[in-house]
Amino acid sequence: MTDAIALLVVVPIVLALVPIALGRLWDGAGWVAAALAALAHLGLSVTVAAKVFSTGRFTYAVGDYTPPFGIELVTDGISATLVVLVSVVTVAVVLYARRTGPDSNSFYSELLLLTAGISGVFVTGDVFNLYVFIEITGLATYALVATGRSPAAALASLKYLLVGTIGASLYLLGVGYLYIATGTLNMADLSTQLQAVGYDSPLVLTGFALLVVGLAVKSALYPLHTWQPGAYAESPDSVTAYISALVSTAAAYALFRLVYAVFTPAFDAAVPFALDALVLLASVSVVVGSVLAVLQSDLKRMLAYSSVAQFGLVIAGFSVANATAVTGGLVHLVGHAVMKAGLFVGVGVLAGVAGGRTVDDLAGVADRAPVVSAAFAILAFALVGVPPAVGFAGKWHIVLGAVEGGRWGVAAVAVVSTLLTLAYFARVVERMYFQDAPAATTDTVSGPDATATADTDSALTPDGGESGSESTDDAKTTGGSGITIEARTVVVAAAVGAVVLGLFASDLIAVFEPVLEVYFQ
Amino acid sequence: MTEIDSLRPLAAVLLPALGILTIVASHRRPNVREGFTILTALGTFGLVASLVPATLAGTTHVSRLGTFVPGIDLTLSADPLGMIFALLASALWLVTSFYSIGYMRGLDEHSQTRYFAAFAGSVGAALGVAFASNLVALYVFYELLTVATYPLVAHDESDTARKAGRKYLTYTFGGGVAVLAGTVLVFWTTGTVAFTPGGIAELATADPVVARAAFALLAGGFGVKAALIPVHSWLPDAMVAPTPVSGLLHAVAVVKSGVFGVARVVLDVFGPETVGDLGVGLPLAAIAAVTIVVASIIALRQDNLKRRLAYSTISQLSYIVLGLGLLSPAALVGGLLHIPAHAFMKLTLFFCAGAIHVETHTDDISDMAGIGKRMPVTMAAFAVASVGMAGLPLVAGFVSKWYLLIGSLDAGNAIFAGVLLVSGLLNVGYFWPIVYQAFFQTPEDADSKPLVEFPIGGARVRTDGGERSESGEQSEDVERDASGSEPETAGSEEVPINAAEPVDSEVDPDVEPSESEGDIEVDARVEEDGEYAVDRHPSDHLGDEATDDGTDSHDADSHEGTSLAEADTDDHHEHHGGPPAAGWERRGFGEESTWFMLGPITVAAAGAVALGLLPRGMVFLALVQRVVAEATGVVF
Repeated sequence: MTDAIALLVVVPIVLALVPIALGRLWDGAGWVAAALAALAHLGLSVTVAAKVFSTGRFTYAVGDYTPPFGIELVTDGISATLVVLVSVVTVAVVLYARRTGPDSNSFYSELLLLTAGISGVFVTGDVFNLYVFIEITGLATYALVATGRSPAAALASLKYLLVGTIGASLYLLGVGYLYIATGTLNMADLSTQLQAVGYDSPLVLTGFALLVVGLAVKSALYPLHTWQPGAYAESPDSVTAYISALVSTAAAYALFRLVYAVFTPAFDAAVPFALDALVLLASVSVVVGSVLAVLQSDLKRMLAYSSVAQFGLVIAGFSVANATAVTGGLVHLVGHAVMKAGLFVGVGVLAGVAGGRTVDDLAGVADRAPVVSAAFAILAFALVGVPPAVGFAGKWHIVLGAVEGGRWGVAAVAVVSTLLTLAYFARVVERMYFQDAPAATTDTVSGPDATATADTDSALTPDGGESGSESTDDAKTTGGSGITIEARTVVVAAAVGAVVLGLFASDLIAVFEPVLEVYFQ
Repeated sequence: MTEIDSLRPLAAVLLPALGILTIVASHRRPNVREGFTILTALGTFGLVASLVPATLAGTTHVSRLGTFVPGIDLTLSADPLGMIFALLASALWLVTSFYSIGYMRGLDEHSQTRYFAAFAGSVGAALGVAFASNLVALYVFYELLTVATYPLVAHDESDTARKAGRKYLTYTFGGGVAVLAGTVLVFWTTGTVAFTPGGIAELATADPVVARAAFALLAGGFGVKAALIPVHSWLPDAMVAPTPVSGLLHAVAVVKSGVFGVARVVLDVFGPETVGDLGVGLPLAAIAAVTIVVASIIALRQDNLKRRLAYSTISQLSYIVLGLGLLSPAALVGGLLHIPAHAFMKLTLFFCAGAIHVETHTDDISDMAGIGKRMPVTMAAFAVASVGMAGLPLVAGFVSKWYLLIGSLDAGNAIFAGVLLVSGLLNVGYFWPIVYQAFFQTPEDADSKPLVEFPIGGARVRTDGGERSESGEQSEDVERDASGSEPETAGSEEVPINAAEPVDSEVDPDVEPSESEGDIEVDARVEEDGEYAVDRHPSDHLGDEATDDGTDSHDADSHEGTSLAEADTDDHHEHHGGPPAAGWERRGFGEESTWFMLGPITVAAAGAVALGLLPRGMVFLALVQRVVAEATGVVF
């Protein structure tokens, strides 16, 4: 049904009201609503994807108002894939948050709002509508970060609020400039109108600059990334997993659509300086993000800076204006979402087992959490770029595209990024596997035994002091080691997904190809 | 050359992966777990061996796994060059599995499941490298090999081991990065990365700057694992790993994968003709020649046996690269034949070193005088392998060296023949003393080893003309402190020692005290004015032997870690090893060690001899000749 594409946004919004409405009467309303919404979203996204893969790109006029005056929703191979990604991540996080993260009605409400916002970003075909959905996403995220309940979380949320709103406002200004220049807000229409106006018109150039800067803030590109480490580190684990996978992804996707659907490669041909500047910024982001990640001792901050670097890589791929590099950027976008979500959930689990959140706290944790540690190691090496996992596929295309485009600097940076990523992941893996746990001398306290001797050594308390919602009842269901089944499933599924995506990368690329062909005619 | 679709190359790569699962699953039952290792090794060897007749006949078995990235398929094909490496890796894995069992149990090592699982993974990745049919597939398995071997390098979990692991990852991933860059360049210029015997045609006509850059990146990237100078220094540090790892991986699988990569680049990506036209063959041969000589000279100065073997490996690997760089058919044959030849010989040597470590806890050559009495079969095998390393006839090393000598003369560069001959002499120089002192000397009358004992440049002279050595100063400090209460941090290597407290892992590994030692033994240990190495390091083996027999893995691990820490001879190093106070005891045939270790030692030595006596009969030479015939068109 063609309404599925609109329902992708509507269903989560409507179901977001349920926890608020029924929250007084029934405590479990939140989770049930979220679960229903996640499943419905999954069904809808699969329907949309099936339609796109069989018949190709299609559009939907909201409220039956015809574009360019009405709002248009568009789905092609790229957005269909990303919408499915949203569903999968939502299902995973809803599952995970039940026992680990905040289990409150307000949390689920905000999560569903966020789902709606992100889905909207991926399916919209109108630049102002994009702003609306970016704002919905932002507002929901500010609230979700604040559910961390600590002063640091509140501060991080406030910082994110301020910086994010400035970014969104810059984006809005850019939209305004484009509107003044062309009189339309529809993406497809804009592309023709902008060409008519002329790409070197100051209005157009300023609009582009504002749009790019605004979206760079939202996707946390250096030096506009300062909100991200705090937001990721202080929010609850389930929130971090969700927002790291999807929020910056949405912003980067928006950037992609703007550069190629609205401004088109013709703009790059007319004003090469624009994308050159973006390439430079992105490359710097890769290097600086990795260096900053190495300097971190807090695991979640380290992963946050890692995101800065990885998104630098993605946007570098987008800015080298040829099909290969853009393909690489898109593949890495999808792959990174899967890997980062898995890594954050893994970090949450391991930090709980180890009793601390820094790199050094993870010493010897592989003995106590073998499955999750193995999955974490696989995800880490996948992000480094070890084939056949998906990290390699994206990198290969970005490097190849850069070489094809004669951009040797980008190629060198992308290739060296492997070593940079290795720098901060290798020490974590080394601590996990090749160092002994500090409190345990020769024997490592094994899971089931620990519950009996839990009073002796608090550092090894198996029910994981960090995540507040665990109780001793959970020890029975978690097998005594403090790791919930859901958490383990999510991390392992992410690891498997990263490898499978890598092996079938060429199929993923085949989905993206028709779209890029149109752009690069 | 006909191709047929077959599952066997894929099965050969997947079987070790399956082995990982079974090994991990049976972690609670060590005997079952070891059984799975043996079974997997046997199965893999069987699969690979079953492919040999077809490859010799000219039929290549190919497993197509579909497109990996657009334009590049993931395909495994059992072509002759791949078969050389695959046959070698799988056969020697079988031998090493038995040895591993004896070694790990002899030392009562920790984390054996992780060890055996990572071993299986490494061999599986090595087989993937062997059978890969294009540069990208090779890169995939190359990186997986790095990831799989890292847990083995850092196995000890000591500070030294972790440092060595970090260095290993940095170097090998750095090499991988260079390979990736080179692969991208090749793909961009020619549109293909498939291995074509004789070289990819388009590279001959491509822009020479790009082609040279691609060659440099590829050869350099693979050269890291092939331990070419100056990117070789990860290898001596990786000797902190357990000896079967040093033997199979860092003498056979990992380093040979690097050389194999260079071989693929020279023969199947660029082709000998294009390499010659581009003029990059001679620089490669020159770097190899420098590595051969310099590494041998460094080896002369190593007292630790495994480090000496490591530098010998670095030197011998460059025989192969030299052959590949010289490009003449005879040189190519010699270089490629040295892959299995060196593998058998070096594995024997490493096995001997490991057996000595397990049985007597001796790691340093200066402690091994007269050890032939204690370990006759081991030292005999050592002697045989050393003869081969020097290139003397009847053992494998001679055949490959012969071809290399002919090849260098063919190529018109007699200097490389000179390098090979000098290298042979140097090999004798660093192996002969070990063999001679083992059989013909005793701990009391062992010859001094000035190359090992003295600092570079000779003993230093004091400004007032009197003679002093660095060690003399420190022994003064030690004596002064010994008269006091506790030894304090004097000199560069003393640390406060408190036998009652558990050992801090931050302690300088040079003088890592054991819990069983008190102050006096430490002082005795660090005295430095004896003339002979044995005097300078008086054996407290007798006192420690009682504790060592019941030693827990911590001691063994720390011992392995510390013995690697010295780079100079006047360092203080820990001594559990060396002959007992009464001298080495005589052991009869088969009584010196477990057959888990002696068996593989004799098999490997026998293999080295067999390869020397019947090179074609042992299949490898026939495969090599096929490879060279396909690559150059010359049947040698």
